[in-house]
Amino acid sequence: MDYEWDDDILAFQKELRTFCEEFSTDLRAAEDQAGRDLVFKKVHGEMERRGWLRIAWPEEYGGGGKSPFYQFVMVQEFSYAGIPYGGLSVGSIAPALLNHGTDEQKQKFLPGILDGDITFAIGYSEPNAGTDLAALQTRAVKDGDEWVINGQKIWTSEAHVSTHLWLAARTDPTAAKHRGISMFILSMDTPGMTVRPLYTMSGVRTNEVFFEDVRIPADSLIGEQDKGWYTVANALDFERVSLAPTGQLARQFDRTLEYLKEERTEQIADKGTRQRLAELKIDLHVLRALNIVNASIIANRETPTMEASMTKIWSSELRYRLSSMNMDLLGRYGGLRSDDEGLTPVDGQNEQTYRGSPILRFGGGTNEVQRNIIAHRGLGLPR
Amino acid sequence: MDVSLSETQRLIQDSVKAFVESEIPFSRIREVESSGDMDRKLWKELAELGWLGLPLAEEHGGQAGGLADAGVLIEALTRRAVLVPIAESVVAAATLQRHAPTDVAADILPDLANGTSIAVPAVLEQEDSFKTWSIEVGADGTLTGKKYFVDYGGQATHHLVAARSDGEPGLYLVQAQTPAVTTSAVQNIGKVPQAIVTYEGAAATRVCGQDGYEFLVGLGRLLAAIQCVACSQQALDMTVDYVAMRVQFGQPIGTFQAVQHHCANMATHTLASRYLVFEALWRHDRGEADDTQIAVAKTQASRTATEVTMMAHQLHGGMGLVTEYDLHFFSLRGKQAALSWGSSEECLGLVSDTIEEPEQWL
Repeated sequence: MDYEWDDDILAFQKELRTFCEEFSTDLRAAEDQAGRDLVFKKVHGEMERRGWLRIAWPEEYGGGGKSPFYQFVMVQEFSYAGIPYGGLSVGSIAPALLNHGTDEQKQKFLPGILDGDITFAIGYSEPNAGTDLAALQTRAVKDGDEWVINGQKIWTSEAHVSTHLWLAARTDPTAAKHRGISMFILSMDTPGMTVRPLYTMSGVRTNEVFFEDVRIPADSLIGEQDKGWYTVANALDFERVSLAPTGQLARQFDRTLEYLKEERTEQIADKGTRQRLAELKIDLHVLRALNIVNASIIANRETPTMEASMTKIWSSELRYRLSSMNMDLLGRYGGLRSDDEGLTPVDGQNEQTYRGSPILRFGGGTNEVQRNIIAHRGLGLPR
Repeated sequence: MDVSLSETQRLIQDSVKAFVESEIPFSRIREVESSGDMDRKLWKELAELGWLGLPLAEEHGGQAGGLADAGVLIEALTRRAVLVPIAESVVAAATLQRHAPTDVAADILPDLANGTSIAVPAVLEQEDSFKTWSIEVGADGTLTGKKYFVDYGGQATHHLVAARSDGEPGLYLVQAQTPAVTTSAVQNIGKVPQAIVTYEGAAATRVCGQDGYEFLVGLGRLLAAIQCVACSQQALDMTVDYVAMRVQFGQPIGTFQAVQHHCANMATHTLASRYLVFEALWRHDRGEADDTQIAVAKTQASRTATEVTMMAHQLHGGMGLVTEYDLHFFSLRGKQAALSWGSSEECLGLVSDTIEEPEQWL
C-alpha cells in the first residue's frame, strides 16, 4: 500500500499542464470549428513528437515503455483541460493492431495512425446487434483474393470524417454466434459503401453505413479468421487506464464552483447549495478512487474486471447527475446553450454534457451488462 | 502509487480471519452481547498474539505497524462482530504515542500493548458536538463534568478526555477505575458497550493540545469508517452466498438480474468506500490528510454501511432479521459505526464548510 505519486509522475503532470494550458489558449483563440480542428491536429503532432501518444506502449512496439500511470496521468490532464488526445485510433485500434496485426499491417497503418493521417470509425453495432453484439449479421465472404462485404452498420460515429473503418463482420454463419466473426480494416472510399448521417440531440453526428458488394483485398483481415470476437475482447493493458477519466467532470465541477464563487456570492453562502456541491465533490472522489484502483491493478500487471465495470458505471451515471445538479444550481442560466454568446455561464458545458450524458451510460457496454459482469465475474453469482 | 495490500497487511488479514473463524463462534458474540460487557477473554488473547500493540513502537512493546495496518486488523475483527475496544484503543494509543510527553507515553503504552490497561477516547458532551465541548481542567489538575457516548467507557482503565485549560483545548489522561469516575451504560443500536461518564475531581494528566486532538478525531473518524466498510463487506458476502443458494421459482434467486444488479451496486459502493478510507488513513499516518479528505471518506463509508446492509436485508427477506442468523450484527453495528465519530450528515457538513477550497483531482 502506497498512495504517493512518484516524483517522475508529478513532474510529468507539470509538463502536461504547461502543454495543455498553451493549447487551451490556442483553442480559445480559434474562431470556428475549422480553427479548433487545426489546433487539435497540432496537439496530435506535438504529442507524437514528444512520444506521448505511445508513452506506455511496450518498447518492442516502438513505445516509451513507461508505467501505465504515465498514460493515466496524461489522460487525466488532457481530459481536465478538455483537449482531445489521440482518440480511438491511437487508443484502441493501434493497440489491437500491435496485438493481432501482421508485420505488414503494422507497417501499413501504425505510422499513419500516429501521424494523425489515418483515422478510424468503428463498425460494430448493427440495427439488430447492439448490446447483443455477437448477433451481428453483416457478412464477409471470401471470393478469390478478395472479401466481399454486404450488410449494414449503425452508430458508426466519425465514419464521415475518418479515412478507415474497423469492421466486425460474420465470416462463418454456421458457427456459434461468438465464433464466426472476423475483423477487417477497409478504406472509407471503397466502392459500395454508403454513409448516411444520424443527427443526435447531443449535437454529435453519428452514421449508418451500408455495404453493397464491397470488395476488399484478402490482407484486410486482422487477426485470425473467425476469431474476431477475441481480437476485440483482448485489449492491451494500457488502454484500460483511459476508461473513464475524472478530469472532464472534475473540471466542470471546478468551473461551476468558480462561477458561483465569483458571480453568486449570496447563493454560495447558502447551506443547501454548499451541501449539494459537497455531494458532487464526494461523488467525484469516489470516481477518482475507482480510477486509481483500476490503474493500480493494471500497473501491477493484473487485469481489472469488476473494477473496470464499476468505474464505467460510476463515471457515466455521474455525468448526468453532476451536469444536472450544476444546471439546477445555475437556474435558467444553466439551461443556456454554448452558442448563446454572452449570457451563458461556464461556456454552456453543463448543458452540453447533460445532453450527451445518456451515450456513455449505454455505450461501451450498457451499464446493465456492466452490472452483470460485476455480479458474475466479480461476485461469482450464478448465470 | 499502489493500492494493494502489502504482504504484512495480507498476513494480518489472513491470520486474524483464521483466528476469529476458529476461535470465536457467533454464539460467543451473542453471549457477550447479552452480558453488556466487552469480550475480556478475546482481549487477553489479542494481547497475547501481539495485536494490541500493532501500531505501537517496539520500545513500547509494539510491532511498529502503520495506521493502515491497524485498519486492516480492525476490519478483520469487525467482520466477526466482536465486542472489544480495538478501534478505541488504537485511537487512544496512537494519539498518546505521537502527541503525549515522552514520560507519559512510556508510562502507559507498554500496558496498552500487553492488554493490562485499556485507554479509550472521551470527547463528546450532551450537545453531541466535536466542536463545542467545554469541560475544564481545574487549577488543581482535576476534571469535573460529564462525557457522553464514551465507547467502552465503563470497561476502560483510562480515558483520554477532551478538556480545556484556561479555554485552550487539549487531551488529558484520566484513570477511570477510581471513585472519582462513575459510568452509566447507554443502550445503542449497535449493542456496543457505551457510557455516560461522570468525573468528579478526577486527576488529569495533560497529554497534548489542539494538534493532538485533531489527530485523534481524524483517526476516530477513519477507524469508524473502516468498521462501516467491514460491516458492508460482510453483509455483501453473506448476501452473495445466500442468493446463490436460496431457491424460488425453481432457481437460485441470484440468477435473477434484478438481484444481481443490487449486488453489483452493493459491491461498487463497498469497494469505493474501502479505497477512499484506506487512502485517507494512509495519508493521516503521514500527517497529510486534511479534514475534508477524512470527512469525504467518512460520509461515503457511513452511507455505504446503511445502504449496503439494508439492501442485504432486502435480499435476505425474513431470514435476515432472525437473531439466530448473523446478518443483524452487521446491519446494527454498521449503523452504529456510521453514526460514530461524525455521521454522514455531520461529515457532509464538514465537506461543505470547505467547499470553496480548490481540489487536487489526480
